[in-house]
Amino acid sequence: MYRPSDDLRHRCAMIAAAALSALVCAAQAGAAPASAAPATSAPATTPPAVTAHAPAPADAGSDGFTHIKSLGGIDEYRLDHNGLTVLLVPDHSAPVVTFEVTYRVGSRNEVTGVTGATHILEHMMFKGSDAFNDAKGNSIKQLLERVGGQFNASTGVDRTNYFATLGKENLEGYIAIEADRMRKLWLHESDRQSEMTVVRNEYERGKNDPDNVLVEEVTAAAYVALPYHHPTIGWRSDIEHVPILKLRDFYDTFYWPNNATVTVVGDFETGSVLALIKKYYGAYPHSPAPIPTIYTEEPAQTGERRVVVKRPGEAGTVVIAHKVPDGRDADQPALEMLDAILSSGKNGRLYRALVDQGLSLSAGSGTDLHYDLSLHTMYAALNPGTPHEAAEKALWAEIGKIKASGVTDAEVARVKQQFIAQDAYKRDGTAAVAAEISEWIGVGDWTLYVTFPQKVEQVTPADVQRVANKYFTEDQATTGWFVPVAAATGAGS
Amino acid sequence: MIRQVSMIVLLMWSGAALASMAEHAQRANTAGIDVITYKTNVHDVVVIVAALPGGDAMADGGNIAVPTLAGMMLDRGTKAMDMFAIADKLDSVGAEVDFDVGTQSLHIHAKCLKKDVPLVIGLIASELRTPAMLPAEFAKAKQQFVGGLQASSQNSGARAHEAFERRIYPEGNPNRPHTMAEFAAAAKSVNLDEVKAFQAKYYGPAHMTMVVAGDVSDADTRAEIAKAFAGWSGGRDYIRSPATSAAASGPREINVALSDKPSVTVILGQATGLRYRDPDALPLRIGTAILGRGFTGRLMSTVRDREGLTYGISAVVSDDSITDGAWDISASFAPSLLQKGIASTRRELDKWWKDGVSAQELAARKQGIIGDYLVGLATTGGLADTILVNVQRGYGVSWLDEFSQAVEAVTLSQVNAAIKAHLDPASMVLVEAGSVAADGAAANHHPADGGAAGGHAAANGRPPSAH
Repeated sequence: MYRPSDDLRHRCAMIAAAALSALVCAAQAGAAPASAAPATSAPATTPPAVTAHAPAPADAGSDGFTHIKSLGGIDEYRLDHNGLTVLLVPDHSAPVVTFEVTYRVGSRNEVTGVTGATHILEHMMFKGSDAFNDAKGNSIKQLLERVGGQFNASTGVDRTNYFATLGKENLEGYIAIEADRMRKLWLHESDRQSEMTVVRNEYERGKNDPDNVLVEEVTAAAYVALPYHHPTIGWRSDIEHVPILKLRDFYDTFYWPNNATVTVVGDFETGSVLALIKKYYGAYPHSPAPIPTIYTEEPAQTGERRVVVKRPGEAGTVVIAHKVPDGRDADQPALEMLDAILSSGKNGRLYRALVDQGLSLSAGSGTDLHYDLSLHTMYAALNPGTPHEAAEKALWAEIGKIKASGVTDAEVARVKQQFIAQDAYKRDGTAAVAAEISEWIGVGDWTLYVTFPQKVEQVTPADVQRVANKYFTEDQATTGWFVPVAAATGAGS
Repeated sequence: MIRQVSMIVLLMWSGAALASMAEHAQRANTAGIDVITYKTNVHDVVVIVAALPGGDAMADGGNIAVPTLAGMMLDRGTKAMDMFAIADKLDSVGAEVDFDVGTQSLHIHAKCLKKDVPLVIGLIASELRTPAMLPAEFAKAKQQFVGGLQASSQNSGARAHEAFERRIYPEGNPNRPHTMAEFAAAAKSVNLDEVKAFQAKYYGPAHMTMVVAGDVSDADTRAEIAKAFAGWSGGRDYIRSPATSAAASGPREINVALSDKPSVTVILGQATGLRYRDPDALPLRIGTAILGRGFTGRLMSTVRDREGLTYGISAVVSDDSITDGAWDISASFAPSLLQKGIASTRRELDKWWKDGVSAQELAARKQGIIGDYLVGLATTGGLADTILVNVQRGYGVSWLDEFSQAVEAVTLSQVNAAIKAHLDPASMVLVEAGSVAADGAAANHHPADGGAAGGHAAANGRPPSAH
C-alpha cells in the first residue's frame, strides 16, 4: 500500500521538465475534473511522415489563414489578420477534441516584485468577463462542467496554457469563451484579493514537501541572472502584494493573438475548426506594441555551488544540477539519450548503482528544457542511514564512467526502441499530445515535437560520451542536500 | 443558445455510443481467469489491466507487511530470469509492466505494442506464478518498503487519510488501514517464507479479472493467456463481508501534528454503510458531486472562489466497490486560516445536508457526469480501468452502456433522501494533519491574514456567484 516509487522507467526530458519547473495549475487534480498539470508524455522517436512545407489542405473555412507548414501529421496555420498561430492535429479515433491555447509568457517574463504574476493571472483568467461569467451561468467552468469537459490551466517558466478535452459537439462553446478571455477578462481588485489567498495556499502546499523546497533552492542557486532564478509560483511576499495594475499590465502586454498558439487535437474537420477559430479570435488586432524579449544572459559559473536545506523529515535527498543549452540546442538529443541510459527502469545505470545497492529509494536524471539555458539534474532519494556523501559520490561515479568509457551500443539501441513504443502510446489520447506540443512551444519550436525523437534516433554512443564530458564537470555543478532534522518540540507527531 | 445545442448533441452522442459500447467487449473465462477484451480504434497500442485479491486486507491475522512485500517481489525476478533480464526484455520493446498492492487487490498495469502482447502476457504470468523470491532481493524490498513508509510519514495528506480511515472503520473491517509505524515494524520482522506462503495461497486465477483493451484480437489474446496461464490454479475471494459490523468509536476530532508544514490537510467525513451497487449509492454520489466536485461544486465556489480560504477542496464517496465505503470532504488550509476554513466548510455542508440540492443543480451535474464519463473512455487506459472497476463492483460489461442511463434516471427526491439517510454532519469525524496544536490552533502562525472577505463580489458591482 505504501510502496515506494522505485520504478524509474524511462523518464524523458519533458517529464523532468514538468517535475522540476514547479508547474502550477488553476486547481488540484480531484478538485477540478482535469489533469492537474499537463500530462507531458515522452517525446517519441519513430520518424513520422515529414512533409515540411507541404501544400495546405484545401478546406473551405481556411480563408484568412496562411498555411505555414505541415510536419508529422500537424498542420500549422497563421491567422493573417492578427498573427495567431494555429496547429491542427486530426485524430478521429474517438469523438473528442482537446483545444489548448498556449501563451508565450511564463515566469521568465517576471522581475522582482511581480514574481508569480504569470501564475496569479492564470488564476484570474477563470474570474469571468462581461459576456461569460458565473452570474450569467455561462462561465468557462460552468460550461465545461455542465458538458463534462476535462479542463485546467498551467503556468511554467516559458509558457502559460489553458486547455479542455470535451465532446466535439461542445467545441464551439469552449472556443467562444477561451477567445473572449484573451482580451476581455475582468481584472478586479476584489478578485485578486480572494485569489491571492488561494494561490498562497498553493504555495504553502508546495512548501510542505522538503524536496520541492530543495529543488527550488538549487534552481535559485544555479541561475544568478536569468529569471529562472525565481520559482514559477513566485516569492510569498510578491504573491501577497502584487498590485492589480501590475497584473493588468502583464495581461495587456502578453495576452495577444500574435503571442499565442492554438492547438487542436482530435475529431474535427479542418475547415470547420479554422472557421470557428477565425470567428472568435479574428476579432482581435495584432498587439499594439512588440512582445517584449528577454536580453539578459547568464554569466559564466566560476565554481561549484552548494545548497543545504534542513527541515523536519525522515529521508534525505541529493540533487546535482548543471546548466545546459536551451531546449532547441543540437546537443539536447544526446543529453536525452544519456538520461534514458542513466534512468531507464531497473536497467538504468542509476538504479543498479544506487537503488539496487541499497543507497537510495529512487534515483534518476533529466533535463528541464527551457527557452534559455536549461537545467539538467540528477537526484537520489536516500535510504535511511545512507550518508549524503555516499549518494553524491555514487552519482558522480556513474557520470564519470560515461565520461571515461562511454555507453554501449546495446544501451543506445534499447532506448531507441523505447522511443518507438512511446510514439505509439502518445497517439492514445488527445490531451497528452496537446500538452506535449505546448511544452515544445514554450521551448521555442513546436516542430521539435516531431523532430526531437528523430534526432534522438540519430544519437551515437560517441555523442553521449561527448556531451557528458562537455557539460558535467564539478566546477559547473550546483549541488543540493535535503538534510532531515528532528521535529521541533511540541509539534512533532 | 450554446447550452441548449450542447445538451442536445451530447445526448445524441451518448445515445450513439451507448448503443454500441458493450458490443466491442468480449468476456469469457480463459485459463480460469475472467478475461475481457475490448477492441478500440487506437493503432498498435494495447493496455492490460488486471486485479486479484492480494491486498493488505488479506494479511489474515499474520504479518501485515506480507501482502505488500509479496507484490514488491514480483518484478524482482522469476525462477527462469533475474530482474535485470526481465527489465531488459521489456525495455528492449518499450513495454511497461507494474504491480501495485492496494487495500484488497493486487493490481497489474501493462502497456505495449500489439506485436509484444505475447511477451508481456508471458512475463506477467511468470512473475505471478513463479517469482524467484530470492533472499537478497527480499532484503532490498524490505529496505525500500520501510524507507518509503518513513518518507510518507511526513506527508500530511497520507497521514490525514490514515487517521481518518482508522477512526471510521472498526477493527476487522478490511478498509481499516494499519499505521505506517505498524507497517514499518512488521516489515522488519517478516520472513521470506511468510511471503512465499501468501503468494501460494492468494495468487491464482479463481477471482482474477484481466482486461485487455486497444488494438487487440480477442482470439489471439485468449490463446496467449491460455498458454501462459495453463495449469495455474488457486486464489481466494475478496473480503465482501467484514468480520465485524460494529460502528467504530473514538474522538470526533483528531489532530495529527507534523512539524514545519505550512499547509494543513483537513478531512471531514464518515463511513456511509453503502456499497456502490446499493440503490442509494448513485444518488449519494451525484449529490456529493454537487457539493464538492470541480470548480462549480458548492465547496469550490464558496470556500475557494468567494472566500479565498483554500487552493483545493472536494467531496467524494470512496472505498465502496467491494465493501461499504466512506464519504469525506478534504481540503488544505494555512494554519492561520484553519478555523475559518473549517467553519466555512461546515456551513456549506450543513446547508447542503439540511436543504438538499436543487433540480437545476441536479440536471446540470448529471449531464456533466455523463459527459466526463464518456471523455474518460476516450483513452485505452481510461476504458480499461473503467471496465475493471465495473467488474469489481459486480457489473457486467453492459454497465458501460447502462451507467449513463442510470445517472439520467436518478431523481431529485432520491438524491436528497440519500444525503439525509446516510450522512450526519453532527457526528462526522474531523482530522487535521499538519502544523497545528492539539487544540486546533495554528502552531506556526504567519502574520495576521484574514483571507478574503466573503462579500467582495457585491463590492465590485456584481451579484454573488449564482450556484
